[in-house]
Amino acid sequence: MMHCTMDDLLALRDGEGSVWARRHSDDCAACRAELEALYQRVAQLKALPTLRPPRDRWSVVRQAIVAQRMQRRRRWTGYGLATAAALVGVMVIGPAFGNTGIAEELAQAKQRSAQLESTLQDYDPASRVMSGREAELTARLEDQIAQVDGRLAEMDTRAAREPQLVDLWRQRVELMQRLVQVRVARAKYVGL
Amino acid sequence: MTLSLTVPDMLVARAKAGDLEALEALYRAFETPVYNLARRMCRSPEDAEDVLQETFLEVVRSIKTYRGEGHLWGWVRRIAASKALMRLRHEKLRATDELHDETAGGPPASVGARVDLERAFAQLTQTSRAVVWLHDVEGFTHEEIAERMGRTVSFSKSQLARAHARLRRLLVVEPEDS
Repeated sequence: MMHCTMDDLLALRDGEGSVWARRHSDDCAACRAELEALYQRVAQLKALPTLRPPRDRWSVVRQAIVAQRMQRRRRWTGYGLATAAALVGVMVIGPAFGNTGIAEELAQAKQRSAQLESTLQDYDPASRVMSGREAELTARLEDQIAQVDGRLAEMDTRAAREPQLVDLWRQRVELMQRLVQVRVARAKYVGL
Repeated sequence: MTLSLTVPDMLVARAKAGDLEALEALYRAFETPVYNLARRMCRSPEDAEDVLQETFLEVVRSIKTYRGEGHLWGWVRRIAASKALMRLRHEKLRATDELHDETAGGPPASVGARVDLERAFAQLTQTSRAVVWLHDVEGFTHEEIAERMGRTVSFSKSQLARAHARLRRLLVVEPEDS
């Protein structure tokens, strides 16, 4: 007598068995037992012990995230020149639009941010040694800057209102100033 | 063991905003199920750890695209499965899988020894293990597996059938040699 193949049994389990396989499994004790064994095997697979990671990899993941954010932030530095040009544009063309104050503030904040980025780059932060406390503070400030950058990137695509942009750029400048204070001012003070 | 994989919406919102503490909380919530999935599919613990890391970097990159449709774990699981399968592809072992079919996963069980399911499962080829785990345990359809593996649905089905046939053979309790 012909019995169900493993393909037949799997199809039966998944509710896709052929008419022949369904009829046969009803009549054949051996195939019914095979089908039951298949159910048991899968149940046992699902009940295998959960394997846990042998080490904590969060620190590695975190480092990678921060590095990616730094990279993204450096791209914003490149916008510095464009910002300076925008400032000139605002000063020349701005008065024609009646929103000069906010536009100027926005351009100034962008320019200040670019200057601070430049200061930080001159300092070459990647090659400096920091204390644990400085590293922690730096990481926190960089995370906050990355968050602001993310919101700015989102707002740019949504054609956000200028007051909101100004507010975010001010926050960025403030955070950048603190970052520069932490990383550069101390180095200058100790002559490094 | 039952793992709680429910994540508060507020935590997801904070993670979307780039909050590192929230991202760490997500990592803590899903590190074990992701590692477990990867470890069942990959050859070594180191590979599984790499899949875990790659999965979370992808989660961080893509979390903004998660629209809250369906359980977050389902979304993370799809990323983890893709990363694990990508690793299998990169290892280019598929071409030699067939040759290893009877010897993969270490020395064969000695005659008369009861081979338990975990050990039998470890003796399957990587491709077979991946298909069995994704289909029978994680609940992926053959269509989803085929798409992620870059193969056909019939390939996924035949891998599953072959794997179960092999597990059945390995799990047969042979009489003790006297």
